[in-house]
Amino acid sequence: MDQRIVDELARIVGNEFVSTREDVLLTYSASASTGYESVQPGAVVKPGSTQEVADILKVANKYKIPVTPRSGGSSLQGEAIPKPDGLVVELLRLKDITVFEELRSVRVGAGITFGKLDKLLNQYDLWVPIYPESALVCTLAGNVAVNGAGPGSTAYGCIAEMVLGLEVVLPDGTIIQTGTEGNPNAPGPFLRYAFGPDLTGLFIGSLGSLGIITSVSVKTFKRVHHFHYETYGFETKQQAERFLIELKQNEIHALFVSIYEGKILDFFMDMLGEEYGIPKHEWPALTVSVTLGRVREDQLKSDIKLAKQICKQLEGHVIGIGELPKGEWDDRMRTFARSSYAHGWHWRILYHHQPPSNWHRSIEEIWAIMDKYHLLGHTAGFQSGHGSYNYYPHLYFDPQDKEEEMKVREAHKELAQRLFKTGAVPFKLAPYWIEDVEEMKDYLNLIKTLKRVIDPNNIMNPGIFGDM
Amino acid sequence: MTEIDLDDLMENLAQCRRCGICRDAVYEDMGFDGICPVWKNTAGFETSFMRGKLMIAIALLEGRLEKTSDNTEALYACSLCGNCTEICAAEFDPKESLELVRAVLSDIPNEVRDTLAERILTTNNPYVTDKKGKRDWVAELGFEPPTKADTLYYFGCTAGMKLPETAKAAARLLKAAGIEFAVLEDEPCCGSVMIRTGRLQDAEENAKKVLESIQESGAKTVLVSCAGCLKTLRKDYPEKFNLSMPKIVHFVEYFLELVKSGKIKLKPLGKNVKITYHDPCHMGRELGIYEEPRDLLKAIPGVELVEMETNRRAAMCCGAGGGLRSYDPELSKKIAADRVREAEETGAEIIANACPFCEQNLESGAKLIDSSIRVADIVDLIVDLIE
Ligand code: SF4
Ligand code: SF4
Repeated sequence: MDQRIVDELARIVGNEFVSTREDVLLTYSASASTGYESVQPGAVVKPGSTQEVADILKVANKYKIPVTPRSGGSSLQGEAIPKPDGLVVELLRLKDITVFEELRSVRVGAGITFGKLDKLLNQYDLWVPIYPESALVCTLAGNVAVNGAGPGSTAYGCIAEMVLGLEVVLPDGTIIQTGTEGNPNAPGPFLRYAFGPDLTGLFIGSLGSLGIITSVSVKTFKRVHHFHYETYGFETKQQAERFLIELKQNEIHALFVSIYEGKILDFFMDMLGEEYGIPKHEWPALTVSVTLGRVREDQLKSDIKLAKQICKQLEGHVIGIGELPKGEWDDRMRTFARSSYAHGWHWRILYHHQPPSNWHRSIEEIWAIMDKYHLLGHTAGFQSGHGSYNYYPHLYFDPQDKEEEMKVREAHKELAQRLFKTGAVPFKLAPYWIEDVEEMKDYLNLIKTLKRVIDPNNIMNPGIFGDM
Repeated sequence: MTEIDLDDLMENLAQCRRCGICRDAVYEDMGFDGICPVWKNTAGFETSFMRGKLMIAIALLEGRLEKTSDNTEALYACSLCGNCTEICAAEFDPKESLELVRAVLSDIPNEVRDTLAERILTTNNPYVTDKKGKRDWVAELGFEPPTKADTLYYFGCTAGMKLPETAKAAARLLKAAGIEFAVLEDEPCCGSVMIRTGRLQDAEENAKKVLESIQESGAKTVLVSCAGCLKTLRKDYPEKFNLSMPKIVHFVEYFLELVKSGKIKLKPLGKNVKITYHDPCHMGRELGIYEEPRDLLKAIPGVELVEMETNRRAAMCCGAGGGLRSYDPELSKKIAADRVREAEETGAEIIANACPFCEQNLESGAKLIDSSIRVADIVDLIVDLIE
């Protein structure tokens, strides 16, 4: 990168926090997205305040430098891979946390991870009840930018449902605040849908393409201390799917619900069965693993009873092995790391949602692709809110085997197309999902228009939505 | 010489999935409150913590990054504290792998590493360029330990040269407990820093010299007061160099047994003296010795043991190890200051430890932030308490 530009950046953040060193650039050329090509940026800058972020974007805009915002570097679908000679803006120095106990909310800087926030909120007997499985690395801002989900989502939905407001620096350096905090006299974040159109929503899942999220305000809830862990067995996919829908319809407060096919469960047992202390069992064709959680014990007792009843009505049976859901729940902050480590190599992942009633369609397509390409893989998922189920199939490859890696990329693309046809939706826009999809053209055009208006020089994470 | 299997090393390095948990994970259930002290006490670029270090290591080994001193800087900006290994879920040991990478890349110039090694090889210590001074403390004991006995006190370079009071206290403790012990005439350095910084071949030669000296003393038990010496003699020599060592015992382990069996009794240290204990990485994470020092402290009447926010397997490092204190003294002291702050938060008057190398750095850290907390070796604390 041109030294003049680097000097300008250094004047903003101080020499210590900008780097063009070869070794530093190498380490920012990639992220946890192991299945993606590394790309070397031209500089990395670490702002210490929102104002510094704004000043940096003004410089980037002036020189039309592509900018990649980055915080934990734990995203898995290439979201934080920079552009050649571009600028990486790493946000980990934005570490403010303000708890608004009376407003039932908290505001965190873009450098705050879920793990850190969870520890702090624990002191207030509160939590933000959604844990991306990379919670120890992943920041709330980063998770909002990709619209993530995780354990807890079964009851509370995706992270988007928690958001009350965002502070965003636009590509021209303008700082905007959405939600109630848009009113400087407001006591803090207490309502997202303030001041007309939901601008907050525009930035959720925007992958840093419209601006840089510098702080996030989210809802807090009283921490749940009453849990019940149970597994329920079913013979058909339809029964298991129906069970998930009925749990929701009956307001049973399940924090984390997953359906496992027998063969997937065997795979899981190999990985973590012993560690979680799960007893040996002849698992049925379908197992539903459920973590129930309530603030009050009487509510929990009622949920346990009702869940059992519903299971029986659907001709299922209560398996009685709680160690599986308990292990999943207790390990919720790092399952992402562990599930693959216990197994294969590097991976490509394909997050998507289905309605629970369509759970079997994803499974069918995932198995078909693995068979077709002769790949090792794995899929897991969980009910992710009101009426959805989140899937995250992994396709594994040996990083030292280029041929296998290319095969995985091809399989990944084909899987996306096949899943799209089943009615599945991703929570992010990616070229492999929407390329050549005629019916999505108008939708994409609107996004293009918005992007052009907000970011006329196309500096913000260009290309992240594909060739738009 | 145990050869490093490069394929094996590359395969291990490929185990890193770049998850980044080794940066600053706060994981309350497991006691982690931050992971990498280097990340925390520097500008915090990716190169500062293990994920980035491993990326650099792979690129250097694959020839994608030029093998220059500049490009290896990040590999040495690490205290090898092992906190990253402790939290890493992948099936390899990142800290151990980095140590091996340093050895494989030892032909890349590094003045600090080479100066330390030259001193150790020629003068039996990493600190000065002559042999003088390492044993001076013996003259101040008031008695002359023999050079041969069943039990050898292997005092180590830091106690001998930087904290002679600790060496003296250890010797007096042994005498007070009625244990006959030897001190070598010309004690070689254990060579820990050579192993950590990648001078493995020299470290092996040195290790043989150490073993020979111990054998000449006739010792069946070697007592050490330094966590670095302990890990090196007890674990590295047999595992890395295939040397068969006599029993290597830390003072803390040894004295705890004496206290437990009633062979020695301790007088009160004072009234409600609040002490916190700093786990040396080489003793804790490396050897799993967490409870013995705490039990010994708790056995002192009048002591109230309080824990720091991070302790045992999740304890933050003092910043001295892995050659960091020589490689980047300022950073090393900043890390120590951070640990001292953590100790201050407990309200303790004393940070007890079981390693002169940690003690020396924690003292530097306390000085850096004008802390009035007392940094003391457990040996120093109990020497005057034997009834
Ligand atoms: S060393 Fe371990 S914890 Fe660190 S990034 Fe690699 S896999 Fe993750
Ligand atoms: S060994 Fe310690 S200092 Fe080195 S990278 Fe790991 S956590 Fe950081």
